[in-house]
Amino acid sequence: MRPHPRLDLAVVGCGAVVEGLYRGALRKLESRGIVRVAALVDPNAARTAALGRHFRSARAFGAVDEAFAALTPDLVIVASPPGRHAEHAAAAFAAGSNVLCEKPMAASVADAEHMLEAARHSGRVLAVGLVRRMFPSLIEARALLDAGALGDDLRFSYREGLVYSWPVSTDAAFRRATAGGGVLMDFGSHALDFLAALFGTPTVDAYADDAYGGGVETNCRIELAFPRASGVMQLSWSQPLVTGLHVVGSKGELTLQPSRVDSVRWRRSGEAWRTLKGAVAWPTDLRRASEWRTPRSYYDCIHDQLVQALRAVLWGEPVPATGEDGLAVAQVIEACYRHPDPLRIPWLTPEEQAQTQQRHWSVQRSAAA
Amino acid sequence: MVGAGGFVGARLLEMAILGGRADVVPVVRSYKSVARNANLGAPHRIGDAMRAESLERALDGCDAVVNLTTGDPSEIVRTTKNVCAAAVAAGARVLVHLSSATVYGQIERPDLPDDAPPRLDHWMPYARQKGLAENFLRERMADGHLAIVVLRPGLVWGPGSPWVLGPANDLVRGGAYLVGDGSGICNLMYVDDLVRSIHAVVARPVTGFYNVADDETTTWRTFYGALAAGLGVNMNAVHRVSGDRYRAGLHDRLDAVRSLRLYRWLKDRLALETRTALKLRLAELRGGDEPATSGTGSTVVTRTFWDLQTTRCSLPTSLFRATFGHQNRGSFASGLAASLAWLRFIGLDERAFAHELDSQAS
Repeated sequence: MRPHPRLDLAVVGCGAVVEGLYRGALRKLESRGIVRVAALVDPNAARTAALGRHFRSARAFGAVDEAFAALTPDLVIVASPPGRHAEHAAAAFAAGSNVLCEKPMAASVADAEHMLEAARHSGRVLAVGLVRRMFPSLIEARALLDAGALGDDLRFSYREGLVYSWPVSTDAAFRRATAGGGVLMDFGSHALDFLAALFGTPTVDAYADDAYGGGVETNCRIELAFPRASGVMQLSWSQPLVTGLHVVGSKGELTLQPSRVDSVRWRRSGEAWRTLKGAVAWPTDLRRASEWRTPRSYYDCIHDQLVQALRAVLWGEPVPATGEDGLAVAQVIEACYRHPDPLRIPWLTPEEQAQTQQRHWSVQRSAAA
Repeated sequence: MVGAGGFVGARLLEMAILGGRADVVPVVRSYKSVARNANLGAPHRIGDAMRAESLERALDGCDAVVNLTTGDPSEIVRTTKNVCAAAVAAGARVLVHLSSATVYGQIERPDLPDDAPPRLDHWMPYARQKGLAENFLRERMADGHLAIVVLRPGLVWGPGSPWVLGPANDLVRGGAYLVGDGSGICNLMYVDDLVRSIHAVVARPVTGFYNVADDETTTWRTFYGALAAGLGVNMNAVHRVSGDRYRAGLHDRLDAVRSLRLYRWLKDRLALETRTALKLRLAELRGGDEPATSGTGSTVVTRTFWDLQTTRCSLPTSLFRATFGHQNRGSFASGLAASLAWLRFIGLDERAFAHELDSQAS
């Protein structure tokens, strides 16, 4: 007798996120008989067909209502454009399914609240793909902070940026109507959640970005105050920022790279740097007495996050990032977008800098209002 | 503008929009390249220069075509042919093609003519393919279907340039080096001045080949010295490398492997997840999981930089000035100031972090 039933999965949105991140994990889990990918949903038939080559028993659908009329998956991975997350998650909950929603959970606070309400009403699981919660480095860094290793008066600088190279299949990620925003909405969701997991719930002291009317931000800078730290976060889709978190306290400092999921460097003031290799482990299957492992790559984390969402469905275990965590991120982003200032781009000529002020989306939004 | 998602293309589009121009049509190969310019709110067209029919649609209605495509050297000739054919099909009156001074190899003559033939025996595949693309355009110039202007800049520099980021990164990490006494000529072309040069050509095209470069002659010692001073790095920490001959290293052998068709074929077929796992495993085997500490990096002399740093002459640009006028508005000092502002913005100057923390504390 099997220790647990095989769970049926549906994937809503078959673009780059699923192709690049989830496909490998889903294939592993399907080959081990843990899940069956039962449905692939995307308005673009070419994408469902391409993904379908890897999941022979999956049926292709062009819309969620068609899919949920035909079957009730145990878990729905919502990976459509963020502007559609609320609609697609609500449809999944209405059909009796549980949801693992890709980040950002929603393009607005209202959408996030709607999703939470739909999850509560249905009594189903809402997990959010804020995958950095799985990072052993995060657990180690939090343990250092909890132990007071860095002392108090914590200040931080967080940068993350590169010239965008994610192989998106549409321009939905670059339009406010479909994505809700730009780089802040994109990997800013991860970064904000990561910092919240370390320092608590933040408030936004200042926010500036480089979006003109009709555009979305490719660069932004946020001053944040958390219960136990304050600092600056800078994000970019167009610049190769020196990426990483640097925290300095009265007794020491730590640095952490988001690309190194399992290690943290830190030192007490005046001492040499040392590296802490994270040892936190996650289950790798759905058995009660599962095997556990420490994830060493981003892909390991994606796999283990998916397993944890499935375990939440099957055994009621907690998910790494909840709908409330997703809502908290949406609230910070919305606070940023409520009062955006033009970001100073210091290498532009004075005339160009004046133009960036005039063309900033806040100016155009005010004029429209 | 084909190749709007690249370094020069993005700056050209930004300058056009901030300058109030609405007549520049950005064309990119795929949607991901829209991201770099997504703040501008400019509609992009998708056109893959490797596929002629997709490019023809993208260039519809354009009367000038600027080819700024980059990519794998093996694609350069084909993309050049496709861009040229699509420009003709679109009825464009001018094609501006961005080539590179690297087609000459090192600049060894002060009187090098602008239409000197490219060196097709260059060791670097990029240079050879750029040269072959030039030769193709040389033949098309005779057809007279449209004006074809080939611009050959040296090292395009400024905020966002790899020719700024690479040396600055090496300086900060402690891996920077100068070949000989650093008196080799660094043939720079500031990106904003290159954009102005392109606009001048589009406005009044005259078919031919033209070198473009900054007005000032800059040595590598001057370039590194200025960057080092701006970043607070001691020039005494810059390594010195003998200029008598280039000595190939492990990275050359690795580069040779990477350029093999079989390697590229395999790489293209491996899932990103598999490639990441392999990289991780290799890093563990090397014991190289530790990030380099600031100022302690090792020096890796590459043949590209060795060639560049042993260049003896400035790129002659008098033909361009005589034909299109003097388009350079900046100076080495102003370009450097902008570049340093950019390097601080991206976080390369560690003193900026300390300053930021001090500001937060106060």
